[in-house]
Amino acid sequence: MKTVFRLLTSFVLLSLALAACGAPPPPVVLPPVKETVIVTQMVAGTPEIKIITATPAPTQPIPTAGPGSGSIVIRAGTGDGGDGLTPHQQIIQIFEDKNPNIIVQLEPVSGRDYYARLLTQLAAKAAPDIMQVGDDGVPSFVEKGAFVNLDSFIQSQKFDPSIYLPGLLDPGKVNGKQYLLPKDYSPLAIYYNKKLFDAAGMVYPQEGWTWDDLLATAQKLTKTDPAGKVSQWGIQLPAVWTTGFEYWVAAAGGRLISQDGKSFIGFMDSPEVIRAVQFYGDLYNKYKVAPPPADLNQFGGGNAEFANGKAAMMIFGRWPQAGLLKNPNISLGLVAPPKDKVRANVLFWGGFGISTTSKDPKAAFTFLSYYAGEPGAQIWRNWALPAVKSVVESFGLTKDPIEGVWLGELNNLVPRAYTFTPYWNETADPFLRKVLETVLLDHKADVKALLTQAAKDGQAALDKLTKK
Amino acid sequence: MRKREAILFYLTLTPWLVGFIAFTAGPMLLSLFASFTDWDLLRDPVWTGLANYQNLLNDPLFWQALNVTATYSLFYVPLDLAGGLLLAMLVRPRLPGMGIFRTIFYLPTVFSGVACVVVWLWMLNPNGGLVNLVLAQFGIVGPRWLQDPHTALVSLVMMSFWGWGRSMAIFLGGLLGIPGELYEAAAMDGANGWRQFRYVTLPLLSPTIFFNLVLSVISTFQTFTGAFVATNGGPLDSTLFLVLYIYRQAFELLHMGYAAALAWVLFVVILVLTLLVVRSQRFWVFYLGERADS
Repeated sequence: MKTVFRLLTSFVLLSLALAACGAPPPPVVLPPVKETVIVTQMVAGTPEIKIITATPAPTQPIPTAGPGSGSIVIRAGTGDGGDGLTPHQQIIQIFEDKNPNIIVQLEPVSGRDYYARLLTQLAAKAAPDIMQVGDDGVPSFVEKGAFVNLDSFIQSQKFDPSIYLPGLLDPGKVNGKQYLLPKDYSPLAIYYNKKLFDAAGMVYPQEGWTWDDLLATAQKLTKTDPAGKVSQWGIQLPAVWTTGFEYWVAAAGGRLISQDGKSFIGFMDSPEVIRAVQFYGDLYNKYKVAPPPADLNQFGGGNAEFANGKAAMMIFGRWPQAGLLKNPNISLGLVAPPKDKVRANVLFWGGFGISTTSKDPKAAFTFLSYYAGEPGAQIWRNWALPAVKSVVESFGLTKDPIEGVWLGELNNLVPRAYTFTPYWNETADPFLRKVLETVLLDHKADVKALLTQAAKDGQAALDKLTKK
Repeated sequence: MRKREAILFYLTLTPWLVGFIAFTAGPMLLSLFASFTDWDLLRDPVWTGLANYQNLLNDPLFWQALNVTATYSLFYVPLDLAGGLLLAMLVRPRLPGMGIFRTIFYLPTVFSGVACVVVWLWMLNPNGGLVNLVLAQFGIVGPRWLQDPHTALVSLVMMSFWGWGRSMAIFLGGLLGIPGELYEAAAMDGANGWRQFRYVTLPLLSPTIFFNLVLSVISTFQTFTGAFVATNGGPLDSTLFLVLYIYRQAFELLHMGYAAALAWVLFVVILVLTLLVVRSQRFWVFYLGERADS
């Protein structure tokens, strides 16, 4: 008995110990669709941020190759999930009707795992033919040789790149070569709930306002109940979302990295960036006009104060707009973000490209020019800001009181930090995130000292990588 | 006949052997090789000798991750053993309906780990989550749980209580295997409930405790799901578990070589701890009818 037991035990132990290193981390099973659907920002690449939509739509089955197989199969990878998949499926449907010899398979992987999945698929030479990647992912994927240069296809297949709104091709370019075509995009703006402004007898915020105006407005709209608990917040902020934070840096007149992409020191620790971090932290901790972050991670669902009618304003991209418009707690208004020293905004962008592992890049481009072209934009229009000029014009979007604000912001864009170095995400970004985390948690934190250290740490990481 | 038996032996062994070589031994050898290289999966690996292991010693995040993992283990293992044993004692009596309770306590172990964590996230949400709402009823302002670097790890330990069902099931098996005559004899000799537990149950359960202990130690060093889903290692790296750090290095940054080196260090750590526990059994583990070291 004893010997058997010991043998058995040793064996189990050994295999467990082996499994510690031999096996990859357990597969993550995504939570089932809940009452509220978590929509990861549809531009893959900044997946820490999510928003609860008020009216979820059921996930639709993924179309698979139907009858008539034997023709060309194109696989399309996307980081979208939930009801964000519907436009993909609609476009694919229309495309397949018109191109019976091509079958398109949509391969969605939502959440943080999407890029990891793409990279391992690339390594295994089994990546989807079409891959969706977000702005800050573009340089690193291209640097790893993941995307086909589209320039020759654009010429040989007579695709007209001037169909897009100005500036929207740029995030898909690396060193002047086009690798991705735009899917959708969004700058930042400030949503406001007219109901709460009306109840307080206040005028709506106006284009041209400043950080001081923002603070004053938020203070007036922050209400406490007799028990001393805050019953209404001035503005809901996106916690430690570093990419979104670049707006505050730019508006304060600062930048995080030098023009040549080689230095954080002297930039990340500049007075302008210090001012931005201080002001952002003060909105939470000193003035207490922003609800404390509900969570600092992906699956929590984020703050819901604005959606619940408990916050008067919210700064964010266009992604949750459809849900907010249908939300009975909200009468939605939108205004451009305020300026401090500079009137600035940052762009979030998602695009499609063709993987270098595609066996039929020509057929893939046929689909790509449809997916990211004018026909696709006709569908995206219902879900996001369309990138194609003619679609924007034919629906009169520039005159729309809400869509017009988004489109107008394209004139105020400043380049984001990732455009200056392909290493932004693995060097300075984690340290900037740490600064924001510290400042939000500890209202006495020394912002200047934190940023000085972050710039130093980021610089060390960057120098190490560029030396290689 | 013998030959046929041998053929049959290898034939039945083959599926396991193929699986073992393809999915365990093969990848392990590959990762050992990778740990001496700089490799991003997409380009050929570059031999760098011991550089990864040297970098690891100077990497503050590695030490932080090791610290977090060890601290978690220190809290989790005793609580898991005590909690599992407690539950097992509670559901031991063969009473009608006991099967329902056994099932209920065991159920969380069967559920998807992520789903459980998401439920906990909702309960621990500082702005109106169930736990803080209940605390508020008693006039207590609850902490910010997963968002405060001081309480995040504690929260994860607390969330792990849901997993007591696993050790409960094993303990229950051990408890039910203890012959009833021993209790009768002890009772005859005047042993009360506590003494019966101390001098009959515990010694005879020690092999099971040993088994659970080792299982617990190994599983804590492999903790991933909770940290990945609930905190993503934050706030301020206070829940950066070693396996999460390996995952990040490997699949988010594609530093496969460095991640492999980390994994091998983790392997050695687990191996040493396990051997220590196995070595210790001669002092406290008793098998029915014989001492462990005989």
